[in-house]
Amino acid sequence: MIRVRDLAKHFKVHKRPPGLAAALKSVIHRTYTTVKAVDGVSFTIERGERVGFLGPNGAGKTTTLKVLSGLLHPTSGEVSVDGHRPHKRDAEFLRRITLVMGQKQQLIWDLPPAETYALNQAVFGVSDADFAKTMAELSSLLDLEALAQKPTRQLSLGERMKCELAAALLHRPTTLFLDEPTIGLDVAMQVTIREFVREYNQRHDATVMLTSHYMDDVVALCPRVIVIDGGHIIHDGDLRRLVKTMMPDKRVSFTGTVAPDQLARLGRVVPADGGRTSIEVPEDRLREVVGHLLGLDAVHDLAIEDPPLEDVMRKLFKDHKPAEAAATPAPAAEAAS
Amino acid sequence: MRLTYYLRLLWVSIKTSALTSMQYRADFVVQGLMSLVWTALALVPLLILYDHQQAVAGWDFGPALVVMGLFVIMRGVLEGAINPSLIAVVERIRSGSFDYTLLKPADAQFLVSTTKFEPWRVVDLLTGVGLIIYAFVRIGHAPGLGDLAAGALLVATAIAVMYSLWILIIAAAFWVVRLDNLTFLLGAIFDAARWPIQIFPAVWRLIFTFVIPLALMTSYPAMAVLGRLDATTVLACVGGAAGFFVLSRAIWTLAIRSYTSASS
Amino acid sequence: MTLRASVRAMPTMLRVGMAETIAYRAEMIVWILTTTMPLVMLALWTSVAREAPFRAYAQADFVAYYLAALIVRNLTSNWVAWQIGEEIRMGTLSMRLLRPVHPFAGYLATHLAAIPMRALVVLPVVAIMFVTSARDVIVTDAPRLALFGVSVAGAWLLVFATFVAIGALAFFLEKSMSLVEVYFGLFMLLSGYMIPLDLMPGWIRDVATWLPFRYMLGGPVEILIGRAPDAGAVLAAQWAWVAGMGLAAALIWRAGIRRFEAYGA
Repeated sequence: MIRVRDLAKHFKVHKRPPGLAAALKSVIHRTYTTVKAVDGVSFTIERGERVGFLGPNGAGKTTTLKVLSGLLHPTSGEVSVDGHRPHKRDAEFLRRITLVMGQKQQLIWDLPPAETYALNQAVFGVSDADFAKTMAELSSLLDLEALAQKPTRQLSLGERMKCELAAALLHRPTTLFLDEPTIGLDVAMQVTIREFVREYNQRHDATVMLTSHYMDDVVALCPRVIVIDGGHIIHDGDLRRLVKTMMPDKRVSFTGTVAPDQLARLGRVVPADGGRTSIEVPEDRLREVVGHLLGLDAVHDLAIEDPPLEDVMRKLFKDHKPAEAAATPAPAAEAAS
Repeated sequence: MRLTYYLRLLWVSIKTSALTSMQYRADFVVQGLMSLVWTALALVPLLILYDHQQAVAGWDFGPALVVMGLFVIMRGVLEGAINPSLIAVVERIRSGSFDYTLLKPADAQFLVSTTKFEPWRVVDLLTGVGLIIYAFVRIGHAPGLGDLAAGALLVATAIAVMYSLWILIIAAAFWVVRLDNLTFLLGAIFDAARWPIQIFPAVWRLIFTFVIPLALMTSYPAMAVLGRLDATTVLACVGGAAGFFVLSRAIWTLAIRSYTSASS
Repeated sequence: MTLRASVRAMPTMLRVGMAETIAYRAEMIVWILTTTMPLVMLALWTSVAREAPFRAYAQADFVAYYLAALIVRNLTSNWVAWQIGEEIRMGTLSMRLLRPVHPFAGYLATHLAAIPMRALVVLPVVAIMFVTSARDVIVTDAPRLALFGVSVAGAWLLVFATFVAIGALAFFLEKSMSLVEVYFGLFMLLSGYMIPLDLMPGWIRDVATWLPFRYMLGGPVEILIGRAPDAGAVLAAQWAWVAGMGLAAALIWRAGIRRFEAYGA
C-alpha cells in the first residue's frame, strides 16, 4: 500500500543565461532559483491497484515516482510504501519494489541480458529455484527465448525493453513503478507490454503505478488515474468517471455526407480523420440522433465512442490553468518531469 | 550472512567483467602487450640516469628498481580494478543509469566499486614482481622475512589509500558531473610515484606524504622491503590509511545524500 | 560546404567554443593539470644535478627545459582525436556533416577557442620561469623569441593535424583510442617530453629527427632555452611536417567519409 501526505519536493537549480559575458560571470558567481517540482500532493493506493499517473511534461510525475522509490528525499510531507519510508532505502523495501524508466537502461550493453539477470539474481538474493521459476514465467509471457543470449547492443528497442522489464522483475516485486515503459515502441510492442503488465498485476496482486504519454496505455490498463499539473493533483479517481465529468457527450462518427444544417441540428461537429465525420452528442439525445443517422442511406460505418482521452486531458489542463495563473508559475523547463 | 552475500556478489561481478573484456578478444592481447611496452618506457629514464651515475638522493640502481617494480604493480591495480569502475560509474551518473544502482538492496559503494575490472592488467602485477625480483638480484641478497611481511602490509595499505582517494573522486562526480578527464589526472599525478620520494624537494615530500599520499604507494613499501623502515612508521601508515578509508566512506555517504536530494 | 561559408562562420564558432570552454571549466582545469610529467621529471633531474651538471645540463638548464616543456605542452595539446572518435562512434558526425561548414573548420574553431584559457593557465608558469634560475637560460632577444613563437604555432598545427588524422582512423578501426595510447608513448619518448633528446642515446636522437614528435615539443623548447643553433632547419622541418600531416589528415578523412557515407556509423 502506498500512502502519500502533503508531499513536496523542491529543487535548487542554477540559472545559466546565454552570452559570453554571462558565462564568464558564472565562473565566479552562480545564481540559483527554486523549482517546486511537487508541491503538496496526497493520495493513497491499495495493494493490487493499477493507477495511471498523468500530466504534461514537467508536471512532477517522474519526481513523485523517484520519491516513492527512494531515489529522492522529499522536501516535506510523509511517504510510506508497504510500511517503509522509501528514502531510507532498506534492503527489504528495495526487494519489494521496482522502478522501470523507459528512457534509461540497466542492461549491460556489451553482454547478453542473461548476464544482467545473473547479476541481479545475486544482488537481490534470489534463490536458484525461485530464479528459474520466475525467469520461466517472464520468458513465456514476454517471449524472451531467443533474446536472452544475444548481446544487448544487438537487440531492437522493443526487444531491449522486454528484456529490461524482465531484469526489473526477476526479484518478484509487489510494487511496480513504471515511468514511460512504452516510449518509442511500435504499437504491437506497446500492446504486448500492456498485456504483460496486466497479467503480472493479476497473478501477483502487484500494485502498479504507471506514467505514460500514450493514452492507450492508460485506457487499457488503469481503472484509476491521478492527474498532476504544476506539482499539484488536479484529479484523482475513476478514469471513466473523469471522462464523463469532463466530456459527458459521446462521439458519433460515420462515413458519408450529411447536409451541414442537418448535421448541426444533430450535434456539434468536431474534427475527425480518415475521411469520417464526427459529432458530439449529449447522452440524452444519443438514441434519437443515432436512430436518425441509421435511417439515412448516405451514412455508413456508424460508431459511438467516448471522446479520446487526449482531448479530455487537454480540457482538464486548460480548465486548470486559470487557477494556476493565480499562483506563482513554476518554471517547468528545468525541473524534473 | 551478509559476508557470503557480498562475496558472491563480488564473484559474479568479476565474472561479468571478465566476460565483457573478452568480448573484444584482440583487445585483450593488444592491451597486455601495451602494458609491457609502457613498463619498458618507464624504465628508460631510470636506465639513462643510472648509466651515468651511481646513486640519486641515497638510492642506488637496485633499490630504485624496487620502487619502479612497486609502481608497476600499483599501476596494475589502479588501471585494472579502480579506474575501470570509476569511468563506468561516472558515465552512469551522466546517463542517469546510476539510479538503478541506488534501487538495488546492496551497499551502493560496494556496487560502484565492483562495476568493472580489466583482467589483463594481471600482466602488470607479474611484470612488477619480476622487476622486484631482478632488483634484488642486482642488490645481491634477498629481503628478510620480516621486511617482506612489512612490505606486503604496506602494499595492502597503499591499495586501501588509492581506493579511498578514488571514492572521493566519485563522490566529487556527483557535484561536478563531467569528470571523465579526472581519470587522466589520477594517472598523471600517480606518475610521480615511480621515483623514490627522497628525490623531491622538502615541500613536495611533505605534500606527497600527507596530502596526496604517493609516498605511501611505492616509496614506503619499497623502504619496508629493503629494511629501511622502522615499525613505528609502518604502524603510522596503516593507521593513517585506516583513517583515510573511514573519511572517504563518510564523504561518500554525504555525496549520496546530496545526490538523492537534488537529482532530476 | 564552401571555404567562404567556413570562414564566415569562424568568428561565431570561436565565440561558442570559448563559451563551451568556460562552461566546462572544472574539466578544463583537470585536463590542464594532467600535464604533470614535466614537473615530476623536473624534481628528479634538479635533484640529480644539484651538485654537478648531469652531462650537458646544469640544474638551471633542467629548470628551464621542463618549465618550457610545460608551457609548450599546455599550449599545444588538444583532444580533437577523442572528439572525432566519439562523433564517429556515436554517429553524431552525421549532424556535423549536414552543416554547410567543413568539419575541419568546426574542429579548428573549438580547439583554437580553448587557447586563451590555456594561455591564462600558462601565464603563472612563465612568471615562475623569470623568478627561478631559468631566467638566465632562456632567450630574451626579439628575433629568437619570434622564432619561438613561430615554432609554437607550428607545433600547435602539427599536433592538431596529427590528432585529426588519428581521430579519422576511427572510421576504419573499432578501438582507435588504443592508437592514442601508442602515440602518447612514442610522443613521450621521442619528443623530448620525458627527457631532453640531447640526453638520449645517439640512435634515439637520430630516429627522433626523422619523426614528427620532436617538432611538437622538443624543437620549440630547445629554441626557447637557446640550445637550437640550427633553429632555421628545425622550423623548416616542422612546417614540412605540418604540411605533410595536414595532407595525411585530409586524405584519411576523405577516405573515411566515403566509407562512413556508404556504411553508416
